[in-house]
Amino acid sequence: METINFAGVDINKVSLKRLLLSKTMLSAYVLVAIALVGVYDLFHLRYFSGAVSAHDAGLNPADPGMIAAMKQAVFGTVGEIDRTQPWTVLIANYMYMVYTGSGVIFLVALAEFMNFRIVGKAAAGFMVAGISMIFAGMFTIATDLHLLNMHYMLLTPNFNAGIWLMLPLYCTYIPFVLFEIYLLLTNKREMARRMALPILILALGIDLIEYYIQAKLFSMNTARHLWTEFPALTFYFIISAFVAGLGVMGVYTYLVHRKKPEYHSLMDLIRKAMLTFVFLLGLYEIIGYMTVDKDWAYLILLGPFSYVYFLGYILLTLALPFLFIVKPGKPIWTVIASLLILVGSYIGRYLFVYGGNANPMSNRFGTGYESYSIYSKAESFIYNSPHLGEILIVIGSVGVAMIIYKLLNALFSVGKLREHH
Amino acid sequence: MNYAIALDYQNCINCQACEVACKEENGVQLGAKKQRIWVGMVEGTIFGKPYANIYPSQCNHCIDAPCVTVCPTNASHYQPGGIVKVNSKQCILCKSCMEACPYDARFVDDTRVTIDKCTFCDHRIVEEGTTACQATCPTKVRTFGDLDDPTSDIVKLLQTRRFFFQKEYTGTLPKLFYLLPEDDAYARQSVSAGTNIYTWKDIEPLYQQANTRRSKEWRR
Repeated sequence: METINFAGVDINKVSLKRLLLSKTMLSAYVLVAIALVGVYDLFHLRYFSGAVSAHDAGLNPADPGMIAAMKQAVFGTVGEIDRTQPWTVLIANYMYMVYTGSGVIFLVALAEFMNFRIVGKAAAGFMVAGISMIFAGMFTIATDLHLLNMHYMLLTPNFNAGIWLMLPLYCTYIPFVLFEIYLLLTNKREMARRMALPILILALGIDLIEYYIQAKLFSMNTARHLWTEFPALTFYFIISAFVAGLGVMGVYTYLVHRKKPEYHSLMDLIRKAMLTFVFLLGLYEIIGYMTVDKDWAYLILLGPFSYVYFLGYILLTLALPFLFIVKPGKPIWTVIASLLILVGSYIGRYLFVYGGNANPMSNRFGTGYESYSIYSKAESFIYNSPHLGEILIVIGSVGVAMIIYKLLNALFSVGKLREHH
Repeated sequence: MNYAIALDYQNCINCQACEVACKEENGVQLGAKKQRIWVGMVEGTIFGKPYANIYPSQCNHCIDAPCVTVCPTNASHYQPGGIVKVNSKQCILCKSCMEACPYDARFVDDTRVTIDKCTFCDHRIVEEGTTACQATCPTKVRTFGDLDDPTSDIVKLLQTRRFFFQKEYTGTLPKLFYLLPEDDAYARQSVSAGTNIYTWKDIEPLYQQANTRRSKEWRR
């Protein structure tokens, strides 16, 4: 394909039709359209639902809208967020997309540092897949926030808050990863060679800081003991992200490189890494739940979450993949293990977010769970299913990742195996 | 100034007048779970004998409030007197403060798209000297006042009664003082075995130290 060279990078001369109307892009548009329906639903609930205050009720008691809103307040549920479970599937999706994407990028940096040349050859594609997932996570979290007030992140920052730290983190992390990708793609080989080692070391440092901040975000919630008592949360996030990241790399390698001669050796390396980190994650899960507060551990291991934990998370992320890859065999087994891990890891993130809220805060006096009023019952377990708008956004976020990857691949052929600088 | 509330919960008759007064005074969103203050209830049995404990509750305006620490935009902040408030214009609805609060004292106000919570009726303290919930309570459950003023009603009350805190182990130094019921049977059924019981003498130095540590932030 004809190319244009810009700043040392070859850009494919691709027609707009091929760039924007390929089959993959069209299916991604469908997914994004689904997400937009979800965003509409969510914003309608957040900004335009029939909610009224006691003062409104006093000022306009006969207004028909007011009457409808009061009925809704008395007999229905109002608003988007339940006070007992503030974080929902959008946070779980954010975690999944961002941690997994960062996991891929971290793994590639590690592999390059340890001089696995085969990973170096495929690095650009892996990293673009990773950064695409990060953007999908960002898209998800953006829909969960009140964007009209976001400028206060700059005007009145709280430098110690985990959520605030996300701002400088991703303002540094994303351009940095893009620069790493640039170095992988550029023809300015001498510059890339000279910068490779310092950039690699910096990359590893930034990856570590990223997971540290993510862990801080959760562990600052002192009352949610699943998040505060899970041992070495930073490293748990890293190991679990490595497992999920290897799932992405396995599926990606199958989709993009399966007809290339390097396919078998690449898949074998992924298999070995997957085996190591699945084993480590398994150890983490065993040790972790020995230290977590018994109220949370009970709900997840023996209570209402136990089926999801064992049949969803443990079986799909750890047990079955381990069985499929423990012996060297055909690469297809690694691909199946990767697919299972992708599903299982999602369930893991979902459990982590919902599990953190599962034990109600209403056990305030140590005498049992309290009901908020005489009309409600005391709840010993909190779980509210995500609503449709949230589910549609989660589905649609996959489309966001697809669009970003596909655009960058069409322009820069990132899926090509390249000799490393 | 260090505002706090003492709750003589053995007097609560669950009339929920405090909830209504709070909604009216502060224009709180309507809805069963949209409450700044509430009367919680725990039901159970002891050797087959049923009981119900009634606990009026609200934001504890903790001295080391985790909701303030986690807020990325400083929308959650301290006001003079150690009152924890939310500036709705700065709130990005990340819900971190809801996750951080050990008492579930915060909720989303859908009429203003922000987090809402108890403010100790700070707009009426100067004029009325107390909160709407205290003013309206027919059985005098709540006593609002300044812990720094030895002549205030709350300090006088705390000097004569023993009390405990909710979830003291979270280390947030809460400022809702639950007065231990004078009726022994009620005290036994409404306080867990692991709850620490204090007198004002025990706790005063700790709260004064914390007050000194935080006072700069409270004045800002």
